[in-house]
Amino acid sequence: MNYGFIIDNRKCIGCHACTVACKAEHEVPVGVNRTWVKYIEKGTFPDTRRLFSVMRCNHCADAPCVEICPVTALFTRNDGIVDFDSRRCIGCKACTQACPYDALYMHPDEHTAAKCNYCSHRTDIGLEPACVNVCPEHAIISGDMDNPLTEISQLLAREVVQVRKPEKGTKPKLFYIDGDNASLDPTGTNPETDYMWSSQSSGVGHFAKYAENRIVNSPLKEEVKKQNFVQIEPRKKARRVYDAPNKGVLWGWEVSAYIWTKAIAAGAFLIPVLGGYFMEIPAPLKQLGAVIAFVFLAITGVLLIMDLGRPDRFLNVLFRPQFKSWLSRGAYIITIYGGLLTLWLLASFLNFGNLLKYIEPLGIIFALLSAVYTAFLFAQAKGRDFWQSPMLGLHMLIHSLMAGFAIFLTASLFVQMSVSFLMALTFFTIITLIFHLISLAIELTTTHTTDDAHATVKMITGGEFSRQFWLGMILAGNTLPLLLLLAGQIWAFALAGALILTGLYFAEHIWVKAPQRIPLS
Amino acid sequence: MQKHNPSFIERIAEKLHLIENLHKEELVELPSLTEPGDLTSYPPPEKWDDWTEYEALSGQRREKKNYMIIPTTCFNCEAGCGLLSYVDKETMRVRKFEGNPYHPGSRGRNCAKGPATINQINDTDRILYPMRRKGARGAGEWERVSWNEVLDDIAAKIRTALQEDRRNEVVYHVGRPGHEGFMDRILQAWGVDGHNSHTNICSAGARFGYAIWQGADRPSPDHGNAQFIFLISAHLESGHYFNPHAQRIIEGMMNGAKLAVMDTRLSNTASMADYWMPSYPGSEAAVLLAIANILIQEKLYNKEFLQNWVNWRESLQAMNPNVEVTFDNFIAELEKLYAEYTPEFAESESGVTAKMIREVAQQIGRAGTRFSAHNWRSAGAGNLGGWAVARCLHFLNVLTGSVGTVGGTLPSAWNKFKPKGFSTPPAQKFWNELHFPLEYPLSHYEMSFLLPHFLKENRGKLAVYFTRVFNPVWTYPDGFTWIEALSDEKKIGMHIALTPTWNETAYFADYVLPMGHSSERHDLTSYETHSGMWISFRQPVLREAARKMGKDVKFTYETNPGEVWEEDEFWFELSWRIDPDGELGIRKHFISPYREGEKITIDEYYQYIFENTKGLPEKAAEENLTPLEYMRKYGAFEVEPAVYNQHLNALSEADLEGAETDENGNVRKNGKVIGVMIDGAARTGFNSPSRKQEFYSATTKDWGWSEYAVPTYVKSHIHPENLDASKNEIVLVPTFRLPTLIHTRSGNAKWLAEISNRNPLWMHTSDGERWGITTGDLVR
Repeated sequence: MNYGFIIDNRKCIGCHACTVACKAEHEVPVGVNRTWVKYIEKGTFPDTRRLFSVMRCNHCADAPCVEICPVTALFTRNDGIVDFDSRRCIGCKACTQACPYDALYMHPDEHTAAKCNYCSHRTDIGLEPACVNVCPEHAIISGDMDNPLTEISQLLAREVVQVRKPEKGTKPKLFYIDGDNASLDPTGTNPETDYMWSSQSSGVGHFAKYAENRIVNSPLKEEVKKQNFVQIEPRKKARRVYDAPNKGVLWGWEVSAYIWTKAIAAGAFLIPVLGGYFMEIPAPLKQLGAVIAFVFLAITGVLLIMDLGRPDRFLNVLFRPQFKSWLSRGAYIITIYGGLLTLWLLASFLNFGNLLKYIEPLGIIFALLSAVYTAFLFAQAKGRDFWQSPMLGLHMLIHSLMAGFAIFLTASLFVQMSVSFLMALTFFTIITLIFHLISLAIELTTTHTTDDAHATVKMITGGEFSRQFWLGMILAGNTLPLLLLLAGQIWAFALAGALILTGLYFAEHIWVKAPQRIPLS
Repeated sequence: MQKHNPSFIERIAEKLHLIENLHKEELVELPSLTEPGDLTSYPPPEKWDDWTEYEALSGQRREKKNYMIIPTTCFNCEAGCGLLSYVDKETMRVRKFEGNPYHPGSRGRNCAKGPATINQINDTDRILYPMRRKGARGAGEWERVSWNEVLDDIAAKIRTALQEDRRNEVVYHVGRPGHEGFMDRILQAWGVDGHNSHTNICSAGARFGYAIWQGADRPSPDHGNAQFIFLISAHLESGHYFNPHAQRIIEGMMNGAKLAVMDTRLSNTASMADYWMPSYPGSEAAVLLAIANILIQEKLYNKEFLQNWVNWRESLQAMNPNVEVTFDNFIAELEKLYAEYTPEFAESESGVTAKMIREVAQQIGRAGTRFSAHNWRSAGAGNLGGWAVARCLHFLNVLTGSVGTVGGTLPSAWNKFKPKGFSTPPAQKFWNELHFPLEYPLSHYEMSFLLPHFLKENRGKLAVYFTRVFNPVWTYPDGFTWIEALSDEKKIGMHIALTPTWNETAYFADYVLPMGHSSERHDLTSYETHSGMWISFRQPVLREAARKMGKDVKFTYETNPGEVWEEDEFWFELSWRIDPDGELGIRKHFISPYREGEKITIDEYYQYIFENTKGLPEKAAEENLTPLEYMRKYGAFEVEPAVYNQHLNALSEADLEGAETDENGNVRKNGKVIGVMIDGAARTGFNSPSRKQEFYSATTKDWGWSEYAVPTYVKSHIHPENLDASKNEIVLVPTFRLPTLIHTRSGNAKWLAEISNRNPLWMHTSDGERWGITTGDLVR
């Protein structure tokens, strides 16, 4: 059995009955939607028309939300329905990044993810989904696509159909008859702040609390403004005239910060311990690295939990794991890395030198994994094209090395270091910075093939993130440290280190935030 | 239901209480109505009394909820679509509304406003108790009173007015009737001409245009079977019978029909059209006559229909008394009369291209008897000469012979059921000149927008004024005049607002009486949504649920939220108290037809109607139900599946007794035409004085408007010739209805307001440039 949907645009009149029937069935809070109708307009009077597209979960055969969910809160049923169990959800919002169709939202009160679940509580007892029932035009067709006798199978056999973003490889099972490309393609039209009959452009779901503030306080709170999508150059002369409110940038500073602290946590351990294989590194330096790593790893953990909609359920990540999810894998990696760090510190301070030998290779492996696993997580976030870059893993590895070097460069101000160590530190930092700049150039110029990714690059290099990118990241974070290090002045090392760390924060901030400004629907 | 298989880690962690145990309960699954993969729309009616389903909000916990499914009728617009309410037996609250599959008009489907009814029921701002004003009228202070006090006070005022023969001072002003004949009966029983409506700012213009053709004042288009559909305005989103019509328009289109939409604005309906005809407001009739001209010139008309069913002899004699009365001469006169309406002329008037007008005319000609057309409000309302739009639109139906045919346009009366009530009071023998002023002899429905002006001019006053789901302060063109009139206690002695929600008009009332939403009241509705005929029963579902559970409920407010009542019972009680001893002759119309001398109950009222509804007792008997029980269970009944060509019905022997047929085939009796002789058979014909489609309207001429006796184009008050550009005069089309809202009544439906929450002014970008206005600017 394999359930799917057809939206028959020959019949859809854009009446929003499906939206409201769904709200009634599921008591969906105001501001967020499991299904909604997007309107666009094309042409110039009198050769113009409005087109309606019902938007919702595509019940993908290869659902990226299921793959990324760390706690099996999202799952694909045997009958093809992509369902969810909000009791398991920790509110990590990874699914909202993974879904290329903007189907998921954060429940403003429960702080868990939700979406269309094909009314599985109804199909379980043989009833059509609520939206199918209400539709005045029978423009929403549900049914088993494996059975050739069903209406959906017959329509699929007979009619030309479209799906949204087939290139994502998700195998969506929501098919449009007479689908319109400018409607189905999020970049076909620009999201607006005011539509035909509605004016709530953001501040919903996860951000409902700010919207409430907005009502009480100032007319335009910065928090709400910041969630707006970037304006992109639409390829077609079409206007978006009605849409559900923008759900906002769901991974905020906590996520950028955790990537940054995690890079430090990995790098601070890696640099002296790896270095120890090639040159004499005094134990206190290694201990310093391990302590810094431990502290930053602890902060990483706190940030990770802070970012959860349901921090009370953070243990679910470990105890209800979904091992295909890099969030779940990452949690185990970090936990093991944290354990290894603890062991290393104990062994080191209690002088169990022999033990260190066994712990260190493992520590290096888990530090590296901690550094790069987020790239795999971001790759699982299929909604964000920019994160699909194959360079991202390398990028994160370099970042953690840079962070490690920077920590010791900064520490040189306070801690005694040998000249040879400092020289090696300077040398490898310079190499890494150059390598980083080259890899950045490659990442930003050659590897992105989609509109979304290009729009993101444009936003970074020439758009609203350009100051942060050029001044914060390139100049302060890379070029100045490079110059300072090349100058060879000891006093400048600490400054270079601090600048590198600052630049890294800008980098993580831009890399996390910019792609989320691209609309998914 | 798919069971979750916990991993080893999860199972251990749950056992160790590290995380909540989500696997401790073993779910006993509910049976499925169908084989796996096969889905059905609704639970079968035999399960409606005891229906268990999973609560969506419980998610994977699959909590079970036991409901009683009770049908009612939606009251968010006039279409009267069927609803099923899910009454939670534990809490005795309605959980949700879905469509009623047994409703012939809506067929189990609804628009957004149907399921949003639950918002209105649960609206935290609703009025729960009868309120009486404290302080001055309009001061905004209220106190709760009992229904008893309300009834006694109002009844006394009405009684005095009737005793003093101030019969025009008792007025009921309705926005949304939502019932069939109920109120007419009440007012007739009181012996007052007290009915006022909103119709004259709504459909009256279009109604007049239809009425002078054929008696029936509304069209009943058979869109589902049409080959060409012509809509004036946005019937796919805001039509009077929005959901039922939208279903059938799209069905017709899926069967190959083409759609033309005449709408100034790019509405959703215009977007769905094969031919969007964005006409300059008020120019519609010019376009329609251009189409008529083409149909006539190119002989695309239905000769047989015109010959048999149009009063062409009278028409020809009136148009040109100098020629011989032959059909060919009639056609020749038509050709001459409409020759000036060239597509090019229509283009210059309307902006719709001559090319499109020609194409549409050809398509209409080709569709022939399968041409459905509809005009309700839109161009017909608010335009000088707007009534001519419907007159000219129906002309196209007449020319193509698509009146009453399969896929054509039927007179509304054929598809609307008239209930037979018990003890019908006689009609009043006088009229209220505040409603039908002498200056407007052809006013179709009350000139309601003049009421406050007449009061200000001292042309009359009101002792007791009921407004019911009627909010003129907000929805009428000059709300402030209404405020003035409503605030003046010398003009309006007592104002009672019957409404489910607060509104601007209720603010100026002496009593605000909360009346139920669709699931909180009784009504019988029947509308011409398609070629069939049906009735639908609106019932207070919690009362019905309580009754089923064996509880004795005397009045609906006992089961509704707070003390929200319903009009039907209110009027019964009020009428009873107006005439406590029966001396006014009112009480006798409120005696139970089943229990001698006793006051009728609401159940008995409907019982009587259902027992006297054609075919219903038989249908009910098939299921061993009484007619009332059948309607309580199914909520609707199809009186006729299809009603076509009623004009071809034979006159009965009784009708023909004493009747004569004149040389023109008119069957006459007692000085009236009662039918038409066609090929030797006497047919009943249409509801007009001539029993034919009246191309030439003697009625119009007789009342002094001979220039409008035949379908014509009246240039409106906003015709470009009448606008002074130097004074910046521009056309503003103020009326617009969205698919999600219904005037001022859906404001408290949160899911509807969520979708539509702003009221922008649309302007062409070229106009915007001219005045330096951009999107988002405020304009006055």
